[in-house]
Amino acid sequence: MTDQNSKEKIELLQGTLDMLILRTLQWGPQHGHGIGQAIRQSSADLLKVERGSLYPALHRLEARGLISSEWKSSNLNRRAKYYRLTAAGKEQLITEQSKWKLLVRAIARVMRPARQS
Amino acid sequence: MRWRFWQSKQRDSDLEDEIAFDLAADAEERIRSGIPREEAESASRRDFGNVLRLEEDVREVWGWTALDRLGQDLRYGWRTLRNNPLFAAMAVLSLALGIGANTAIYSFMDAVMLRDLPVRHPGELVILNWHAKKFPPVAYSSNGSTYDEPGGGITSPDFPWPAYELFRNHNTLFSALSAFKDAGQLNLVARGQAEVRSIELVSGNFFNCLGIVPVAGRLIADSDNLAGASQVAVLSYNYWRERFAGDLAALGQSLRINNLAFTIIGIAPPGFFGVRPGSAPVIYVPIANRPSLARNYGTEDDTMFVDPHFYWVDIMGRLRPGVTLARAEAELAPQFHQFALASVTKNEERAVLPALWLEEGGSGGDSLRRQYSKPLFVLMTMVAFILAIACANIANLLLARATARRREMAVRLSLGASRLRVLRQLLTESLMLALPGGIIGLAVAVAGIRFLIWLLTGNNPADLHLHVVLDWRILVFTIAVALVTGILFGLAPAIQAMRVDITPALKETRASTPHKRGRRIGLSQFLVVAQIALSLLLVLGSAIFVRTLANLHSVEIGFNQENLLTFSLDTSQAGYKDMALTTLYARMYERFRALPGVRAAAVTDMPLLFDWNSGTGVRLPGAPKCEGDGCPHTSLISVGPTFFETMQIPISLGRPIDSRDADGAPLAAVVNEVFAKRYFPNRNPIGRRFGLGSSKGDLTIVGVAKNARYSSLKREIPPVVYFAYLQNIVNGPPGATFFILRTAGNPLALSETVRKTVHEAAPAVPVTNMMTQVQRIDSTIVQERTFADLCTAFAVFALMIACIGLYGTMAYTVARRTNEIGIRVALGAERRRIIWMVLREVLALAAAGLAVGLICAWSAMSAIKSFVFGMKVADPPTILLAAGILVAALLLAGFAPAARASRIDPLTALRHE
Repeated sequence: MTDQNSKEKIELLQGTLDMLILRTLQWGPQHGHGIGQAIRQSSADLLKVERGSLYPALHRLEARGLISSEWKSSNLNRRAKYYRLTAAGKEQLITEQSKWKLLVRAIARVMRPARQS
Repeated sequence: MRWRFWQSKQRDSDLEDEIAFDLAADAEERIRSGIPREEAESASRRDFGNVLRLEEDVREVWGWTALDRLGQDLRYGWRTLRNNPLFAAMAVLSLALGIGANTAIYSFMDAVMLRDLPVRHPGELVILNWHAKKFPPVAYSSNGSTYDEPGGGITSPDFPWPAYELFRNHNTLFSALSAFKDAGQLNLVARGQAEVRSIELVSGNFFNCLGIVPVAGRLIADSDNLAGASQVAVLSYNYWRERFAGDLAALGQSLRINNLAFTIIGIAPPGFFGVRPGSAPVIYVPIANRPSLARNYGTEDDTMFVDPHFYWVDIMGRLRPGVTLARAEAELAPQFHQFALASVTKNEERAVLPALWLEEGGSGGDSLRRQYSKPLFVLMTMVAFILAIACANIANLLLARATARRREMAVRLSLGASRLRVLRQLLTESLMLALPGGIIGLAVAVAGIRFLIWLLTGNNPADLHLHVVLDWRILVFTIAVALVTGILFGLAPAIQAMRVDITPALKETRASTPHKRGRRIGLSQFLVVAQIALSLLLVLGSAIFVRTLANLHSVEIGFNQENLLTFSLDTSQAGYKDMALTTLYARMYERFRALPGVRAAAVTDMPLLFDWNSGTGVRLPGAPKCEGDGCPHTSLISVGPTFFETMQIPISLGRPIDSRDADGAPLAAVVNEVFAKRYFPNRNPIGRRFGLGSSKGDLTIVGVAKNARYSSLKREIPPVVYFAYLQNIVNGPPGATFFILRTAGNPLALSETVRKTVHEAAPAVPVTNMMTQVQRIDSTIVQERTFADLCTAFAVFALMIACIGLYGTMAYTVARRTNEIGIRVALGAERRRIIWMVLREVLALAAAGLAVGLICAWSAMSAIKSFVFGMKVADPPTILLAAGILVAALLLAGFAPAARASRIDPLTALRHE
C-alpha cells in the first residue's frame, strides 16, 4: 500500500460505501479494519476505502439501526469492535442491491453509444 | 445531563480504542510482510489519515452531541466576549435599547392606530366622513371635531342627524348603520358618589352593529331610542367592577347623569372600550337623551334630530358581505351630495359642499390617531435610527474580530475543524450578543411602554384608556434584525477568511496585516461614518426640540402663573338653577377668599392657557354689517370681580371688572391691548361701545388690560374681551365654572381644604379639574416636552453608541498599527504627533459623518416643521451646537486609543510578534 499503488485505485462512488459495508457484513461480524481489508481484497485492490470515510459510515449505519456492534477480544490480543448486520440491514442490502443493478444497467445503456463511435 | 456526559466520555474512549485497534491491525499486517515494527507503525499512522478529523466526523454522525457542541461554543464564545468586556457589554446594551425602544414605540403605535377593535369581524366596519375645501357654510353649526387635511381642506366625521336617517333608510350596503356621539365628561352619581366621567350616546343598533354581547342584562336596542325614550344605561365592564364591585344586583338600579335618572339594564363585555381607542366611556345611554344631557341647553338641542344644518353625529356601519368600501362610497356619496344640496338656502352656500368619504373602521374612530400619528412617526424614525446605529456597532465589533481572528480560524481549520463547525461557532457568538440584547430589550420595552403611556397621556383625564400590550411580533422582528446583522457581518469576513489558503494565513503575523489595507477596513469606517451621520440627525433633532421647549417656556404669558390653584365646580348639573346658582357661586367665592393661605380668589368660565377658545364676531359702532371671513372677531372670557387682581394682569387704562358689574348694571367689558389697538386705533377706548355676536345690547369698555396669553402659548395673542360673568352676555348661565385661588404657598397643599369646603356647602357638587396653573400650562405643551425629553434621551444614547463604535474602530486601528507606531516612535516621532495622527483619522471620520448627516438632515427637516415653535428648523446656531457636541464626543472617544498609541514603547512594539 504505497503511494504508487494508490494511483491505480479508483474513488468510490458517492453512496456506494454503505452498500459495500452491508455486503461485506453479510458473511458475518467483522471489525472496521477487517471490513476495509475485505472490500479492498474482494475488489482485487481496485477499491481503497479511506478510514476517514469508513468509520463515519460505520457509525452512521449503526445509528440507523442497519448494523449493530459489540466489543469482543480479537486475535491481536486486544479488544475490537465487531459490527454485525441487523435484520433491517439485510433488507436494506437487498434494496440497495436491486437499485444498484438498475443503476448499472441504466448507465451502461447511456454509455453504449459512446463505445460504438 | 450527567448521564449523557458520562455516556459521551465512554463513546469517545470507545472510538479511540476502535481507531487504535485499526492502527495496530494495520501495523501487524505490515510487520508480517517483513517491515520493521517502528517503520510499520509510522507508515500505518501516515496511511490512516487525520485522526482528529475522523473523530470529529464520527462525532458528527452521533448527532446528539449538537448539544455538547453548543455548550462548547457557548463557553468559547463567552471567553471571547470576556476578552473585550466593555465592547461586548456596550454592544449588548445598545442592542437592548435599540430593540426595547423599537418594541415599545411600535407596540404603542399598534394600540393607537393599527389594532382592530375587540368586536365581531372588525374588517367589515366603516366610518363615514366628509371633506371640503374649507368649512362648508351649509353647516350652520357643528359639534365635534374637524381636522385639517394634509393637502389643504378639512375633514370631519360629524353629520346632521337627517343625513344619518337617509343613509340608514336607503341602504343596500350596510347590514347595520349605527350613530353615536361622545357626550363628554358628565356629572355622574352612582351609589351616592358624585364624579365626572365620560359617557357615550349610542343609537339602538350600536351594539348590534359591533356584534357585542352583554355580560349580563341586555344592551341598548332600537326600542330604547323611540320618542320619549326610556332612560336606560349600559355600564362598561370596568365601571361595573369599580363602582358595583361586579355585583349583578346593579341591574335595575338607578344612577343619575347630569341629574337625570337612568336605569341600568346591562353590562358590556370586558375588553370592550367603545369605538375610540384612547377613550373608554363608562356608561352608554340611548342617543335620544342627547338634548336632555346637554351641558348648556341651547336652541340646537330642540332641533338637532331634524336640522340638516347642524353637524354633530358620528356614523359607523357594517358592510354587507361582498360590498367593498369603494362601492359603498360610490353609492353613498351622490346621496349625501343631494342631501347637502337640498339643504342649501342661500346661493353662496352652494360653492363649498361637504363630500362624503368612507374610511375603514376596524381600528375605531381616529381622533387619537390624528393626534398622535405624526409624533409617533417621528419617534418611530428615531428609534429605527437607534437600532440601525446599534446594529452598526455589532457589525463593527464582529468585523474587527473576524479580521483579527483570521489566524485563529486558519489554525482551527488546519487542526481538522470542519468549515461548517467554524461557521457555527461564529453564529453562536452572534447569537450570544443578540439574545441577551433581546432579553434586556424585552425589559426595556416593558418599561418603555409604561413610560410612553405616562408621557403621552399623563395629563389626561381618568377615563383615558389605552390598551397597550407588548407586541411580540415586533420584539421578534427586532431581535431577528440584530441576529441577521450579527450573522451577516460575523460570517461574511469569516467565510472570506476561510477561503484564503490556510498556510499564508498561518504565517500572517499581527505585524504584517496592517500593510494590507483591505475592503474590510473600509467597511468598518463606512459603518462609523453612517453611525455619526445618524447620530447627528438625532442630536440635531434633540437640539431643535429642546430649544422649542425653551422658547415655549420663555414666552411672556402676561400674568403670574406661580401659586395659582384652579378647579371647577359642576354646579349647574347638580340641580342648581339661575338664582340658586348665582347665590352658590357668590357663597363659595366668599368662602374661598376667607380660607387661610388664600391671598385672592376669582371666578371665570375657563382658565387662561387651557387650550379652550370661545369667540364671536364684534359689532363696531358705525361699521357696516359684516358677513364672512375677515370680519372683526374677538375671543371671550367671562370673569368675576377681582379676576385681574388674582391673576395679576395689569390694567393699563380704566378699571378692572369688579363687583359693580352685576346683573342689571350697564354691560361692562375690559378689553386687551390687541383689541383696543385693532378696533379703536389711536383713540382712547374707554367709554366706547361695541356689540358681541348676536347678543342684544352693547358693552361699554371700562378698562384696557395688558396682553396676556389666551388659549395657547403657541398662538398669537388674539383680541380678547373680558366681561362680567354675572351679566351673562353670551352663553347663558355658565356651565362649568372655574375658581382661581392665588395662594401663599404651594397651591396643591390647599386642595383638600377646598374639597372639604365645597362638600360642606354643597355635597352634590363635585370638584373637578383641580390643577395648578403651572400644571395647566405644562399640559398644553406636553407634546413638546415629551419630544424634547425623548429626543434628548435618544440623542444621548445614539451619541454614546456611536462613540463606542468609533472607540472600537480606533482602538482596533491602533492595535493593528502597534508595530508601525513603534517604529515611528523609535525613529523619533513625538508623542503629540502620534496623538494627532490618530485624532486626525477621528476627525476625518467625524467630518465625513457630519457631511452625510447634514445632507440627510436637510431633507428630513420639513417632517418636523410642525413641532417647532419660535425658531426656524434650519437654525444655524442649533446646527453648529449639534455638530459641536458630536465632534467633542467623538474626539473624547478617539482620545483614549490615541493616548494609548502615544504610550507605545518602541521596544515592546517591535518585539510584539
